[in-house]
Amino acid sequence: MSFTDLLTPVLMGQVLLDGMSISSIYILIALGFTLLFGIMRVVNFAHGEFAMLGGWGLYYLYGQFNVPFLLAVPLAGAIVAVCSLVFEQFVFRFFYQKMFQSMIGLLGLSTAMIYTAVIIWDAYERQIPPAFTSTLEFGESIFGESLLLPTDRVVVFLVSMATLAAFYFLIMHTRMGLGMRAAAQDVEVAEAMGIRTRTVYRQAFLLAIFMTAVAGALYGQIYFLSYELGSQPLLKAFIVVILGGMGSIPGAALGGVILGMSETFLATLFGAAVSNFVSFGVVILILIIRPWGLLGKPE
Amino acid sequence: MSPQAPLSLGAAPPRTMPGAGLLAISALAGAVLLAWPIVFQGSFLVYIATLVMQFSIGACSLQLIIRTGHISMSHQAFVGIGGYTSVILVMKAGWAWHFALLAAIAAPALAGAVIGPILLRLTGKYFVLVTFLFGEIVRLVFIDWQSMTGGSNGIFEIPKPYPWMNDPTAYYYVSLGFAVACVGFCIRLMRSEIGRAIDAMREGPNLTECAGVPVFRIKVVMFIIACGLSGVMGSLNAHMNNVITPGNYGPMESLNLVVMNVLGGMTNMAGAIIGAVFLIALPELLRGYVEWQRVFYGIILIVVMASMPGGMVELLARLRSRLTGREAHLASAVAAEGRT
Amino acid sequence: MSTGGAPLLAVEGLSMTFGALKAVQDLSFTVHDGEILGIIGPNGAGKTTAVNAISGTFKPTAGRVTFDGHLVTGFAPHRLAELGLVRTYQATTVYGTQTVRENCRRGAFLHLYPGFFDALISSAKARAMRAAVEKEIDRLLDWLGLAQFADTEARNLPYGVQKTLGMAIAMAARPRLIMLDEPVAGLSAEETDHVRDTIKRIRASGISAIVIDHNMRFISGLCDRVLVIHHGQELAIGTPAEVMSHPDVIEAYLGKGHAAATAKANHAAPGH
Ligand SMILES: Nc1ncnc2c1ncn2[C@@H]1O[C@H](COP(=O)(O)OP(=O)(O)OP(=O)(O)O)[C@@H](O)[C@H]1O
Ligand SMILES: [Mg+2]
Repeated sequence: MSFTDLLTPVLMGQVLLDGMSISSIYILIALGFTLLFGIMRVVNFAHGEFAMLGGWGLYYLYGQFNVPFLLAVPLAGAIVAVCSLVFEQFVFRFFYQKMFQSMIGLLGLSTAMIYTAVIIWDAYERQIPPAFTSTLEFGESIFGESLLLPTDRVVVFLVSMATLAAFYFLIMHTRMGLGMRAAAQDVEVAEAMGIRTRTVYRQAFLLAIFMTAVAGALYGQIYFLSYELGSQPLLKAFIVVILGGMGSIPGAALGGVILGMSETFLATLFGAAVSNFVSFGVVILILIIRPWGLLGKPE
Repeated sequence: MSPQAPLSLGAAPPRTMPGAGLLAISALAGAVLLAWPIVFQGSFLVYIATLVMQFSIGACSLQLIIRTGHISMSHQAFVGIGGYTSVILVMKAGWAWHFALLAAIAAPALAGAVIGPILLRLTGKYFVLVTFLFGEIVRLVFIDWQSMTGGSNGIFEIPKPYPWMNDPTAYYYVSLGFAVACVGFCIRLMRSEIGRAIDAMREGPNLTECAGVPVFRIKVVMFIIACGLSGVMGSLNAHMNNVITPGNYGPMESLNLVVMNVLGGMTNMAGAIIGAVFLIALPELLRGYVEWQRVFYGIILIVVMASMPGGMVELLARLRSRLTGREAHLASAVAAEGRT
Repeated sequence: MSTGGAPLLAVEGLSMTFGALKAVQDLSFTVHDGEILGIIGPNGAGKTTAVNAISGTFKPTAGRVTFDGHLVTGFAPHRLAELGLVRTYQATTVYGTQTVRENCRRGAFLHLYPGFFDALISSAKARAMRAAVEKEIDRLLDWLGLAQFADTEARNLPYGVQKTLGMAIAMAARPRLIMLDEPVAGLSAEETDHVRDTIKRIRASGISAIVIDHNMRFISGLCDRVLVIHHGQELAIGTPAEVMSHPDVIEAYLGKGHAAATAKANHAAPGH
């Protein structure tokens, strides 16, 4: 596809929507990742596997038990988050505030979860049944031809935006969010101020896994569902978080938009391989010039 | 010279002359290694041992980088560069293997010389992250450079270096020879004044630089040497397996080499080899249960990192201190780094 | 001693800015062979920054540094060490997990390293250098009163001894000029006296020194000349006596009122 082809408003609109929906998924996953890093100093290499669990949650709730889609997504996220407290208790807890050990230990968790998934569900790709097959059609009067937007992409975008809004509200306007922000600033000070870190850690863990599982459910719905579902989103979240600055919440949002958009446009114009190289290359470049990321703070 | 210092991980091991005990152990190990393929002739244990030899080269060369204070998550990418170089030169350009091997050392060393000075400016977690991504880029190059590398399917029907190496026993002895040479080189290097400077700069970079040690230059040189050595593993491994695919050279596989070092306590070449034995041999005991094997591997990683970040060397030290009833200081540089 | 011959170290117009903060501004001074220069100033005055800019830890924003006739502005610390300019740090100055002797060996890298291949094969040259350094270290440890701790791990040493070890590491490099950043901070009066004697003996062996501290008594009892820094700028430079009677120094150290009173007293005295 050449550049001029893309310049038509109709195509532009579709690519833009693709970019927005994928950006919002990346942001959801990256936010969870950065939350765990910012508060507990764990580098959660198993993050993608929680996204995969979210995908399976949606597969059963919506695909098998016919729970309405808009209910099934958050329900899947919640179920995965609550069940994952087991992991918090038996794995994550031991790695809090131990960055290096967490990297390797949680890579171990990732491996264990992936292959357990293979054992339980086999290695084949599955499809979560489409929720909305229709396309939204509008804008004929403006552009001369009508803009065709797949409804499911629009829904994905809206659902993740709603989740993001809820997250924002929780962090900025509740006591729980205040505790988390305090702990992210400085755990010891927060403890001295009487914040119970154990509780904050649990809340942050629940929140992070919830967002990731929701993102994974949406991602699985757009693409496919398999034991591998988590690896791509994790890598992307990883890039987003590095781009924006490890531990920085606005950084994750900014990084998600930059990566999602540039990736969609580059992939449309030059193909997926080029878009991958460019995004990795740019991130490495940024890391070398400004290792703490765009909105992070140097240590 | 110095009394048996309490083991301090992350710090350099005490520099002592090899004692009689160590010599005896070495002689025994040498005898076992030489006799191995004769005792287990025709068994897959010969293949496993050959694999361990090759991974020992990878793990020990990686330790040269780790000892300078940089945990590289892209080492397997350099192994891959060596492997592909060797295979392509032999199969497409018709080179004799011994020349291809030289190129397989030169190519990753050259790549290391280009990328090393850029990456090594970063320290700590940033270095880990960037090398992780760099490893991913190299993997993508292997996948996307179809005409050269055969894409994600890789290159098949790779011949053995020489016809006589079709015999697994012969391949074992050749790998053993290279492993002894490479690992010996690493050990010798770390026991020299260069090794002293390297351990010093990991423990106190500023202080060391003020003593006249060209810290950055040494880091770069070690990186280049390590990458070059990794090519030996790449070539030996690819020709043994008959096939080379990008999947073997991603960041996750690099992690495997890091974990070998972690299990071995990070600052000990013998530890890295023990780690290699453990990580290569263990899965083979669970042959036929590939998934369970991986699950088990993951759980072991979790348990090891959660309970004894100093690795198996720490475990041994604990056992020894319990046996001798002495209180051992078990401070770990890894643990210290994790806390900051 | 203070003016004859070319200086060992000459600093001209040294400045170091961090963003908007001018940590060091336009400092100029010299250190001659066998001289001890004191640098004194309140917290945050820019003493450490000045040393950092000289020793290559930072590249100075402006200025020239000449050492032993070489222009060394912005040289990396290891190149300065090769030329004979070595420093200690205000904080962490030893390798905690290593023995005192090993600490010194690490400091003596320049005299231990025979070149890559000689080191690798442990050649005759390498062994000869090692033997020489071992002797040198024995002497050094004796000299600094560290011999009894030779095989002790540095982290198990009392704080005062660790500070001395920091100096021993620097001395092991056989410097011509040693820069000591607050060598007596946190030491008892007795230990301070010991360090003062040590620095004097270091000088007696022909090594020049720059000594940083807050304490005017310590500095004036030790140094040939003193540089007073305030807000990154030179306030006064001269012999301890000159500096201590300098009105700006009195004002900065004892407050405005006191300075005015002293000045008035000085002014009034000749009149009567
Ligand atoms: N790397 C840096 N980046 C930014 N500002 C710095 C840096 N190093 C020092 N400063 C600032 O420069 C000023 C001078 O600091 P410096 O450490 O040189 O003071 P000092 O005289 O050594 O003080 P002290 O007696 O406490 O050791 C301080 O305001 C300090 O905050
Ligand atoms: Mg200071």
